[in-house]
Amino acid sequence: MRTFSIFSSLCLIGLVLFSSCTKEETPTPRPLTRVQVLSVPFSTRGSHTFFSFKDSTAVTVADSASAKWDFAIRFARIIVNSQSSGPGNAGVIMQDGIFSNITSAPLTGYSYDTTATRLAIKDGSWYDYNPRTHAFIPKAGKVFIFRTANGINYAKMQLLAVDYAPFTGPVPTTLLYKFEYTYQPGNGNSFQ
Amino acid sequence: MTGTVRFFVLWVVAFGTVNATAQQQMLKDTIQGSSEPLVITATRITSKFSRAPVPLIVITDREIRRTGLLRLQDILQEQTGVAITNAPLGNALNGFPNPFGQGVQLMGLDPAYTLILLDGEPLVGRNAGILNTGRIAIGNIRQVEIVKGPSSSLYGSEAMAGVINIITQQPEATSLNVQLFRSSPNISSSSVSFGNKFKHSSLQVFGHQYHSGGFDLDPQLWGKTQDPFRILAGSTKWVYNPTARSQFTFSVRQNNQVQNNRYQVELASSPEIVAGKTIDNDFTAFSQWRLLLGKKSKFFLRSFLNQYSNESWVNKEKTGEPFDAIHFRQQFFKQEMEYQLPFSKGSQLLALAGWASDRVDASRYAQQPPLNSFFVSVQQEWKLLHDRISLNAGGRLDKRNDFAARVSPRIALSWQPDARWKVTASAGGGFKAPDFRHMYLNFSNAQIGYSLIGATALSDELIHLQQNGLLPTGANITPFLQNNPLKPEYGMGWHFRVRYAHQKGTLAIGIFNNRINQMIDLFTLPFSRSNGLPIYSYRNAGNIFSRGAEVEAQLRFSGNFSMNVGYQYLLAKDIGVLESIDAQKLFRRDPETFATTLLTRAQYVGLPNRSRHMGQLKLLYEDSDAGRFAYIRFIYRSAFGWADINGNNVIDDHREMAEGFLLVNLSASQQINRWLSLQGNVENLLNYTNPKYAPHLPGRQVSLSIFLQLKSTSSK
Repeated sequence: MRTFSIFSSLCLIGLVLFSSCTKEETPTPRPLTRVQVLSVPFSTRGSHTFFSFKDSTAVTVADSASAKWDFAIRFARIIVNSQSSGPGNAGVIMQDGIFSNITSAPLTGYSYDTTATRLAIKDGSWYDYNPRTHAFIPKAGKVFIFRTANGINYAKMQLLAVDYAPFTGPVPTTLLYKFEYTYQPGNGNSFQ
Repeated sequence: MTGTVRFFVLWVVAFGTVNATAQQQMLKDTIQGSSEPLVITATRITSKFSRAPVPLIVITDREIRRTGLLRLQDILQEQTGVAITNAPLGNALNGFPNPFGQGVQLMGLDPAYTLILLDGEPLVGRNAGILNTGRIAIGNIRQVEIVKGPSSSLYGSEAMAGVINIITQQPEATSLNVQLFRSSPNISSSSVSFGNKFKHSSLQVFGHQYHSGGFDLDPQLWGKTQDPFRILAGSTKWVYNPTARSQFTFSVRQNNQVQNNRYQVELASSPEIVAGKTIDNDFTAFSQWRLLLGKKSKFFLRSFLNQYSNESWVNKEKTGEPFDAIHFRQQFFKQEMEYQLPFSKGSQLLALAGWASDRVDASRYAQQPPLNSFFVSVQQEWKLLHDRISLNAGGRLDKRNDFAARVSPRIALSWQPDARWKVTASAGGGFKAPDFRHMYLNFSNAQIGYSLIGATALSDELIHLQQNGLLPTGANITPFLQNNPLKPEYGMGWHFRVRYAHQKGTLAIGIFNNRINQMIDLFTLPFSRSNGLPIYSYRNAGNIFSRGAEVEAQLRFSGNFSMNVGYQYLLAKDIGVLESIDAQKLFRRDPETFATTLLTRAQYVGLPNRSRHMGQLKLLYEDSDAGRFAYIRFIYRSAFGWADINGNNVIDDHREMAEGFLLVNLSASQQINRWLSLQGNVENLLNYTNPKYAPHLPGRQVSLSIFLQLKSTSSK
């Protein structure tokens, strides 16, 4: 799936180079911070686009009934792999603050998708729609703190932009969700 | 009829009897007028301009003519503290004709908060809070009065920022005025105004025609920025005095505007051209009986009707198949009686009572009953300390069937220690009733699929949506099924002003502060439609303030030069945003680096569409002996907020703002003989245009006006 933009691919390459240069024998892996772009169809119907923090990649729809993904987006709706949305043990806390200032994830207080209409991330809670520009602008300072689908690892994520992919005709086809996240692959809840 | 015949005989046979004294007197006037105008809007009782207890702008017919402008909004834009702003929603249409038009922003408050009166009576038919001032022909305006500050104590709802009263000519003497106007690129207009005095009555008839070929600011977009339109307007006013004490006034007025719409729509398959018309009809009828009771006291009985309709449709040009059609009709009827006891023994009294009925029938609106209201208003003014101090206090009670009674007070104090100084201080409360849109709108966007539902219509519509399976299962609509009627927005404002008059001119400095509470705003329901798209409705939320300072100066230089300067400094902010900033709950994200930081008070610019600095400079050269003048006006608006781009829904970055602009308008006139004058105008000399931020401004327009003015004094 062409879910990565050139930008995120470059990030990935940079990261690989970086980590290979500074590779040391460390007992606990350092958390990884990345900026990625997820391509989401401009449609309120059809399947979600799934994402895994651990693999830093989109997850195919075939794996939607597994714990391989952490969150998924359809149009402007974000679901979390939990309860009504999936078999995983993911949860989320939405916190106001500066992304870099959040140094660790809370151990409790996570929200789940209890029913299809009572989602952890409420509709409209993370963006402002601008009727002048038709832009979905993510609210600044909204940080999503995730416990991932395996119920063990933690990640913090903030949306940076939601852009329209270039399109011809009246209706956009693709929304480009650009987001930054820090994933802690090891034990513990620290993002430092 | 005899009077009419006599007049025409006069006109044809002997121009020598047509007296031009009055006209020459007018030519001697300076920009504001050396002979002090009489005003009525500030207190509803006729008084001299300098006695008005609240801030007031008067635009005389002479000034209107001198500008050479034919659109009311262009004339209003040249006044201190007045900006013409575009409806935010209209700009979202990406080149489609903006159906909302432009409105008057007064002291930084949105167009919805300024009441627009025609001969003292309120006009209805607002679209998204904006009353299209293009409905008002300017050819027969005698005077425009702008009262700044809450005036609900006299005029009720909407008069929160102030009141604009457009006063048309009174039939006073036999007169005929003709104006012919031709402008580049493609505008022509003519108007005729005729007045005559009979034995016991007098008559004023006015006809007006305006045609615009439209203009296109953005060739990249298919269609014109302004589609071609024409206006036909007519009015007549008849004043009848059966006895010395009794007077009847009847007037009717009709304004008809037809616009040819033609634009491109993006359909699923391919773009297609649609074409059609927008027909805008505005009809008013007014009757008044005035009875002199004692020496000075007067009793008035008035009825007023305003019928406004706007019908718009477009069909696909290829197939003729209907594409879209909407209509909006509003009918407003008011009856009132008023008692005035002008100054006797140092005080004057005004009492007013009446009722009104307001009804809307529109596509996209749920069915609804008419709104009925009644009102009582009382105002008393005292003169103290040998007329040096005047105190004006009053209040009005408004009760409409859908909300609790509201009382709007106002108090105004003016102190004139000597002939030069005048200090005024005024404070008042105002309110704005929820309008039909807030209560009954039922709009679903077909393309994207969201719903916008008025507060009163919400419960029925949610049940309807749920029964039709358009809401997701489990959506809890119960909290929205109780009737939660909207409350009126209300506010308070004060103004303090010092004015110094000198032989050479006047200087006035003022400060003001206005606040609006429980503003009606959109909110998102906690559940969406089953297609995942949000449902919006209206609720009372949010408080704002607008405060600032203003300076106005008139200077008469030696010779024939005079100058008029006006400036307004404005801060208009959302109080909720300031509280969020203080609570460290608002952030900003740089749209390029994506760095997120806390928003500070200093970064927060304020409400969108407001310019911090606005001003105008007018220079007039007038040689009345030679019958000529030249007039140049500079109108400046500094940058104003446009749209959020950095994720906090407030304006706090220069990239979120539209650039400021300067308009330069020129006019010059030469009197040919006693009754004919020619005037040349250049509007927007610098050719400033901005299709995105100021689509209402055409480029440079060069025009020629011909005025024919005949006035008889012998008919008295």
